Amino acid sequence: MGTEAGSGNGAGAGGQPPPPPRDPRDPRAVRTGAFPGAFPIGPAISFLRRLRAGLDAGRDLPVALAEAGGTLPRDLRVALDRLLHRLAGDYQEDEWGFDEEFADALLPFLEFLYDRWWRVETIGARNVPSHGRALLVANHAGILPWDATMISVGMLREHPLPRYPRFLVLDWAFQLPYVSVAMRKLGGVVASPYNALRLLEQDELVAVFPEGVKGAGKQFKERYRLQRFGRGGFVELALRTGSPIVPVAVVGSEEIYPKLGEAPVMARLLGAPYFPLTPTFPWLGGLGTVPLPSRWRIEFAEPIDTARFGPDAAEDRSFVFELSEQVRETIQNKVYENLVARGSAFF
Amino acid sequence: MRSRRVLITGVGSFLGTEIARRLETDPEIDYLAGMDERPPRARLERMDFIEADIRNPVIAKLIPQAEVDTIVHNKIVRRPGPGMSARSAHDINVIGSLQLLAACEKADTLRAIVVRGSAGVYGSEPAAPQFFTEEMARRYPLRTRFQRDVAEIENYFDTFSRRHPQVVCTMLRYQPSIGPSLDSQITRYLSQPLVPTYLGFDPRLQFVHEADAIDALVAAIKNPVRGPVNVAAPGTIGLTRMVRMAGRPTLPLLPGLFGTVTDAGRRVGMHSISPDFRRLLRYGRGIDITRLVEEVGYTPRHSTVDAVEDYVRTQRGRRLVPVFREAVAR
Repeated sequence: MGTEAGSGNGAGAGGQPPPPPRDPRDPRAVRTGAFPGAFPIGPAISFLRRLRAGLDAGRDLPVALAEAGGTLPRDLRVALDRLLHRLAGDYQEDEWGFDEEFADALLPFLEFLYDRWWRVETIGARNVPSHGRALLVANHAGILPWDATMISVGMLREHPLPRYPRFLVLDWAFQLPYVSVAMRKLGGVVASPYNALRLLEQDELVAVFPEGVKGAGKQFKERYRLQRFGRGGFVELALRTGSPIVPVAVVGSEEIYPKLGEAPVMARLLGAPYFPLTPTFPWLGGLGTVPLPSRWRIEFAEPIDTARFGPDAAEDRSFVFELSEQVRETIQNKVYENLVARGSAFF
Repeated sequence: MRSRRVLITGVGSFLGTEIARRLETDPEIDYLAGMDERPPRARLERMDFIEADIRNPVIAKLIPQAEVDTIVHNKIVRRPGPGMSARSAHDINVIGSLQLLAACEKADTLRAIVVRGSAGVYGSEPAAPQFFTEEMARRYPLRTRFQRDVAEIENYFDTFSRRHPQVVCTMLRYQPSIGPSLDSQITRYLSQPLVPTYLGFDPRLQFVHEADAIDALVAAIKNPVRGPVNVAAPGTIGLTRMVRMAGRPTLPLLPGLFGTVTDAGRRVGMHSISPDFRRLLRYGRGIDITRLVEEVGYTPRHSTVDAVEDYVRTQRGRRLVPVFREAVAR
């Protein structure tokens, strides 16, 4: 269809110096080129010219697009191709609605937050089993689940055999437009023990935040103190499925939204679990949801093997509480250790 | 159970006729009767057609005469078709089931009842477990009329099976069916020139392929188990993905306006969307089919995505959005 000759034209059309050689195995090589910041003007114009020529010659739009597409740089063509495939419904979602391609597309943005905004340091990613079921148990702070996304990015960046963790999200989020879709596409599921059980039985990596709303809504002055770990439901799940528990300590998420107070009337009006008041929210509107650039540390602690206790141990209340408390203490200690290691919160 | 005698209600529907056709050719089935107020959609050689309205008490005389050991209850209206009011759909569902059970009381030969019920009984809830198992039916308030109907029907059959322990009562909870030859709420929805959706919502949906819907029911007749059994294809599909596969443009509507706009659309020839279906389009629903696979012994052959693809394939040429796939990258 003349696309071979077209791509030759495209290479010369921009007249730019040749790009620095890139490692072809680097998965980011394709992504960065497709980013709007690097949009090539020259090829775009020749693309539009050829598209118009094709349409004037009486071709169908898809055919004309195909012919004109040859003038574009390869990166852009690949990205555009993926977009068109998605528009035709040609993409994969698993039974939970997790959309890996969508998550990958969002990764450059999350990596920006990880590297530049929060300057996250991840320690002990190797403690996460590289295959099979496992339960990540983390402390929770900051009103939006940024900590969950940073744990994901930390896993993907630092683990030798990375995989996306699935995380349990407060069910309120699933009533919201857009938020609910983004959550499920990124691997979030409704915080229900049935969901967690099914995911673990499917040998997935599941992240839970046992502090729940109490953690997300804690006051700024008690930001480093872990709240009660619910009823220890996550321990029961781990025991029943024989999944190792990996305690995760996140330091830095406590400062992104310093919560000064609450507006219970607003919370009731919106049906939200609580309505936070921070120095910027809701005073600055949407701008108030921009998290502060604190410095973060994420530590994955040694996994706790639960398989040796057997599934019947899940029935033993006192044992469940004991193990839950042990996990809580591990995380609390790691939070304090990492606070010291981090130094200043913002610089 | 050898040599079975089976009666099917609602044999005039597409699935009813198809099930009857399947059972006719089955050597294990000795006798087959079909009951409905409208005739079956195809000529059936061996089946005795009983023309009767299920709401009519006369069926209490007709059914015991047939001396069947298995009754398949397929007369549950999921969506009132054109010319049927919501009121009469409710009557058929609830009063019809009551009359059927009254008839069953008198049928001494009866050993099994298989009901083609609906997974609508679980409702569509944003905060629910993402895969309902059979024991999770009454976790949320019953929100729509259809949901209340199904719950009521389930209650009746439940009570009946407790009072008659010799009768095995299987309640099959079907997800919506989809397929090339089926006319259902979902295929009507997808065939509209403009598909209304909720702005900012993209729920996970789960269907069952029409062939699996038939085979699962036949499997349940062969191997009736007590209590509810979920019937669905494995896996789910996002609404957006499904609509894109079908090549339809969407009309995203604010949640507050959805009802108003779709009701207005009815006047210009678009299909009505029942309150039950509306909730499904907003929050979706998934069910767990372990019991179907392990206890009934039927594994669906089509996944949800396969089922939708199979439907879309027959709709080729009716796409409204051009295919740009393979257009650019060569």
